[in-house]
Amino acid sequence: MKRNSWKEYQKQIADDRYYYARSCIRQNFFPGSEKAFIDILQNDLGRDLLDDPKHSSCTGIGYHSDIVPLETIMTVVARQFALMTEAGYENFVASCITSFGVYSEILATWEEFPETEERTRENLLKATGREFRKPASLAHTSDVMFHFREEIARKAKHKLVNALTGEPLHVVEHIGCHYAKIFPKSGIGGSEFPYVLAGMIESWGGQCVDYPERRHCCGFGFRNYLVQANRGYSIANSHKKLESMAPYKPDFIVANCPGCAMFLDKWQYAIAEMEGTTYGENGHGIPVLTYEEMAGLVLGYDPWVLGMQMHQVDVEPLLDKMGIDYDPAAKYLGRNGKYIGKPASAVVNGCPPDTLYDMRE
Amino acid sequence: MKKVIIIGGGAAGMQTALRLAERGIEALILEKEAEAGGKLRGWHALFPTFTPAEEVLTELRRRIEEKKIEIRTRSEVRSLTPKSVTLADGQRLDCDAVVLASGFTLFDAAIKEEYGYGLYDNVFTSADIERMLNEGRVARADGSAPRRIALLHCVGSRDEKVCQQHCSRVCCITGVKQAMELKQRFPEADIFNFYMDIRMFGPGYEEMYREAQQKCNVHFVRGRISEAAPTLDGRIQIKAEDTLTGRPLRMSVDMLILLVGMRANDDSAALAESAGLQRSPSGFMAPRDHFLHNVESNVEGIFYAGTVTAPKNIGETLNEAIAAADAAADYLNE
Amino acid sequence: MAKYFDMLMEDVRFREGLNSCMNCGVCTGVCPAAEFYNYDPRQIVSIVQTRDEEAIERLLKGDTIWYCGECMSCRPRCPRGNTPGYVIQALRTLSQKLGFFAESEKGRQQLALKRIIGDNILRTGYCIVPRLVKPDLHPEQGTVWKWIFDHDKDIFPQFTPVYMRHGAGALRRLDEESLGEIDRIFEVSGGKAMFESIERHSDRKARELGYEEGADQRYMMDVFLNNSNEHY
Repeated sequence: MKRNSWKEYQKQIADDRYYYARSCIRQNFFPGSEKAFIDILQNDLGRDLLDDPKHSSCTGIGYHSDIVPLETIMTVVARQFALMTEAGYENFVASCITSFGVYSEILATWEEFPETEERTRENLLKATGREFRKPASLAHTSDVMFHFREEIARKAKHKLVNALTGEPLHVVEHIGCHYAKIFPKSGIGGSEFPYVLAGMIESWGGQCVDYPERRHCCGFGFRNYLVQANRGYSIANSHKKLESMAPYKPDFIVANCPGCAMFLDKWQYAIAEMEGTTYGENGHGIPVLTYEEMAGLVLGYDPWVLGMQMHQVDVEPLLDKMGIDYDPAAKYLGRNGKYIGKPASAVVNGCPPDTLYDMRE
Repeated sequence: MKKVIIIGGGAAGMQTALRLAERGIEALILEKEAEAGGKLRGWHALFPTFTPAEEVLTELRRRIEEKKIEIRTRSEVRSLTPKSVTLADGQRLDCDAVVLASGFTLFDAAIKEEYGYGLYDNVFTSADIERMLNEGRVARADGSAPRRIALLHCVGSRDEKVCQQHCSRVCCITGVKQAMELKQRFPEADIFNFYMDIRMFGPGYEEMYREAQQKCNVHFVRGRISEAAPTLDGRIQIKAEDTLTGRPLRMSVDMLILLVGMRANDDSAALAESAGLQRSPSGFMAPRDHFLHNVESNVEGIFYAGTVTAPKNIGETLNEAIAAADAAADYLNE
Repeated sequence: MAKYFDMLMEDVRFREGLNSCMNCGVCTGVCPAAEFYNYDPRQIVSIVQTRDEEAIERLLKGDTIWYCGECMSCRPRCPRGNTPGYVIQALRTLSQKLGFFAESEKGRQQLALKRIIGDNILRTGYCIVPRLVKPDLHPEQGTVWKWIFDHDKDIFPQFTPVYMRHGAGALRRLDEESLGEIDRIFEVSGGKAMFESIERHSDRKARELGYEEGADQRYMMDVFLNNSNEHY
């Protein structure tokens, strides 16, 4: 896809010594991705990353559902920074895009409205006795992975290339709204042509796809998903994106926001069950990956160790395309190889509708 | 004989020189480009009368030759004072007064990344259309005729995001004019002008807007286009809101034309600093005031003519040039 | 009684988000909520900037302000530097402080959000935990999620050494001291006050609507599930 502006939006990304803040959604739905990020950074790249058990959620989902007030989230964030300071780190790296947006906004708000920072310090001291220093750098974990894309490329065992034809894979890269729409300068490449995922994809041999709804929100919408009565909004937005990208025949979708990855995966399931429509090849869905999984596959990690069996849309079509070896029998085994059955079949994975999982039950 | 140096050989500069000649004052025009004429060289037909730009330019050139006024081309000015001008090559030229008529810089539409100018096929600027009209052929990138065209007003104007908060005035009438010109060439095409306000400030402009609607069936949609994206079949998908019905809209067009604004001349900042000239917040040169001293700068002996101070149409530029020449002449005769 | 506009101005997000709107429509042009609901962020900002108290009160009490998904797609494009999404946040916060949220169908859903997400934050230190995503309340999560949910203790430990236990790793149980700090943060910074306001006003409204037990589980499930389908 064509782009020419990303060089104007350079951001400094720290090279080492990160304080890692986990994501609510990513932990729940892509725990393998969080593990992979830590493993890749520590083992493959030899960097120092602290996984501090004391940190909490930034409460961004609560904040964007408007039940957590601004003052409260500022204080929670201040606590995160205090923990980082106490642990001796100054490079803050967030696993969630909503978090990244929240941290960026709060730092900017403290700059613009210093009385809010003062109030936050008072609150934090009063509630916890802690004091904090602002991070020297703030990045999202996808920024860090982008930063190391060349190193990862050098260690690559697989490329984002069709192993049979040698053609680059066509990839839809989806950027979480809060990555660069709040402060375009805080996203690599800006808000119109973000480059953080595209850079990884291109370094690892793939090709990005530009399609009309590329910049459209996946539709999480916080309260618009969390409350069942509103969920139509959420599926409608993902539906719009999927309809728009399908004619370009992408081989897979990759998202840097854990929510987006989860929704683009799960809504394909729901659409297939409701309408019978699938967007990938041969009556299957389009596999949706997190960038940690993408990096992990490139580095040769086993897909089930990366947690890819937790996706609703089967990833095997992609693994086969990339020529990656995997054990189909091991996919749904539990801890220690325990047999725990397998999920019911779904239309999105090429099953006929009469094996429909009845959602009403 | 008193001598005035005029910086800029466009419509403003040439007209200033002609008036100074009438007033018995020697003028020297310094033009940065290889030939004089300024932006007028790039236009096809001028609003509101569709007068060929070439006609006006040719006449100005003829008069300059007739009066034997000297124009030095490829002479970029690096700095100035009321009594001297220094060129980029270091040459210093003395004078008794200076008229700054260096014009404007066209907004670079690529900066509005969301419209994909320079990236997506079939996204053009108004300047591109003028050029294509001059070349005798307006077509899509693949050579075919457009059946649905969108023109977008206010590209690079009235926009905090690109640091151009001012209104460039003439883009609205340009949009109406081009819509009519395109309708003439593609009678079957649907043409949509997306605007925030339709600023028809000049003589005959409002009437032209009406004619565009009534006779040419150009559709005017009150909503600024938010983004443009390429489609699989080589068209451009645009999103906007029709603010008069309060509904978001999305459509695919064969051609998107960005009506780019005028921004302060790129050279203005350096020139201003060299001479202690004030600039307005928009970056354009600030005249001493907007009323009785509106062609004088804040520095005695330096005068302004044309779009170097603000967006204006050619008629206004030509008038202002006469006023600037008279102001300079009066100053020199004191 | 202070005016609504002045109260909104106390919220820094409002001050950041509203400079002046010239009704160009670029926000609505890309707004996902405008495509789906009968919603127009430009109109909301336009109404608010008139400072008309009655109109603002109608907004605070109506469904409209609850349609926004807070994606902030409106923010990068606005030529006046406004952010309709921030204006919405300020309106929603004020609506909950004043109890007006309970007057609209979508607003009443805040109780569900408080009880699901809010209470979970205080209980676990995270917004969402796997046990909260029950397949019967989330059928759209799919067949694989159901399998994960049913076998969580055999699946999650493959990726974390501390599933529901203390220590470093995904899906850990936050230590008591940290939970205590979070709790006190919510106390000191007005978080609990907000929760309490949501509960109190919801209870009042529930009784008004005929729920004899007030904002009980039945009321909560009703606001969670009910959609009048009049939002388009």
